[in-house]
Amino acid sequence: MYCLPVPTNSRSFRFKFTIYAQHGSMRDTSGRFEERSSLLTIKMQEEGLDVQTTRNADHYGALTHHLSLVRNKCCLMAYVYNRAETIRSLIWKVGPVLPQEIQEKLSHTEEDYFKKHAGTLQSYMSRLDLDLTVDMVPLKDPYIQVRVLDNFGVVLSDDKTTNFAQHSMHFFKRTDAEQFISRGLMEELTS
Amino acid sequence: MAKYYDIDDIITDEEIVAVIFQKAASGVGIDPSSETDCVEVGSKVELPFWLAHELQQRQAVSMNIPTSFNQNTRLEIQADSACVDLRSRCPFFYEFGCKIAPLVGARNIGPLLLSAFKSRYKEVLTKAHTAAFTAASKNLTILTKEETNLYEAAQSSMAAFKKWRMGGPRFQKASILGRKRKSTE
Repeated sequence: MYCLPVPTNSRSFRFKFTIYAQHGSMRDTSGRFEERSSLLTIKMQEEGLDVQTTRNADHYGALTHHLSLVRNKCCLMAYVYNRAETIRSLIWKVGPVLPQEIQEKLSHTEEDYFKKHAGTLQSYMSRLDLDLTVDMVPLKDPYIQVRVLDNFGVVLSDDKTTNFAQHSMHFFKRTDAEQFISRGLMEELTS
Repeated sequence: MAKYYDIDDIITDEEIVAVIFQKAASGVGIDPSSETDCVEVGSKVELPFWLAHELQQRQAVSMNIPTSFNQNTRLEIQADSACVDLRSRCPFFYEFGCKIAPLVGARNIGPLLLSAFKSRYKEVLTKAHTAAFTAASKNLTILTKEETNLYEAAQSSMAAFKKWRMGGPRFQKASILGRKRKSTE
């Protein structure tokens, strides 16, 4: 059973995939189950019964198989839907560039989805000329003090070029620092 | 339809219900006690709720009251509901009870749920607001999913309040990073 590792709390997803496996054992596994309902309908047609209205044993067997298929579809749809929701929220939490540890857990279509969503958000923000992903916490002070945790060299910011050596402390503009903090590259210092 | 994508709703639907088949069904391997893969009329089978519900709508089965709502549980809840281990019976006790009450035709499930919830809710909230983080772990194992959500919400609001009082750093690394998970393939 192909199962992508999920970057969020995956306890409920793992539970659902064991349920999916249980469906397989519940059904008659002597034949491929997706053919069973059509086999039963064909058998009913051969016996000369009207498929739409007859309610004999074969009908209920076919019905059970059909309901199982619909249920599996529901589980899978819900899984994909919830993953998409998590991916959409990633843009607001982490920024338009994904760190490697999350990137490796997404499938190709999901990465594509993320890029397109980030691109849409970017074009919307540039149309408004307003960056919506900063200032998630209400403002107290336009500048904050940060300490750099990771060494990532020289960075170009609005008005100056700063060299970020590890463990150096800077007095930095809030909007710029916010994206570094959310990625874990800096931490805020409270005096 | 708003609950189609809701994961908690899907897991609630997986709860087992005992049903009696009114019509025969062939070609299904549901009944483990029969030798062939046909289900006879009048046979008692355990089905998940989603299947039992659909078949009952088409009058193929009739549902009985699940074991989580039987007389034993009722007596225990009337005695002292705060100590009843609902999670081992049914982790989605309240949601499942709400779904099954109109279908089984037992009119006392509703008041039972209400009385259980009222007394347990008081316990949950007082413990969440006053206990230290590790102290009430014994109490947590008997709560259903819904009550656990309430408990965690209360705890996180208390933690946020304390943090606001003390004035810690307001920016944090995104919670989604830094969780090391092994890939499960």
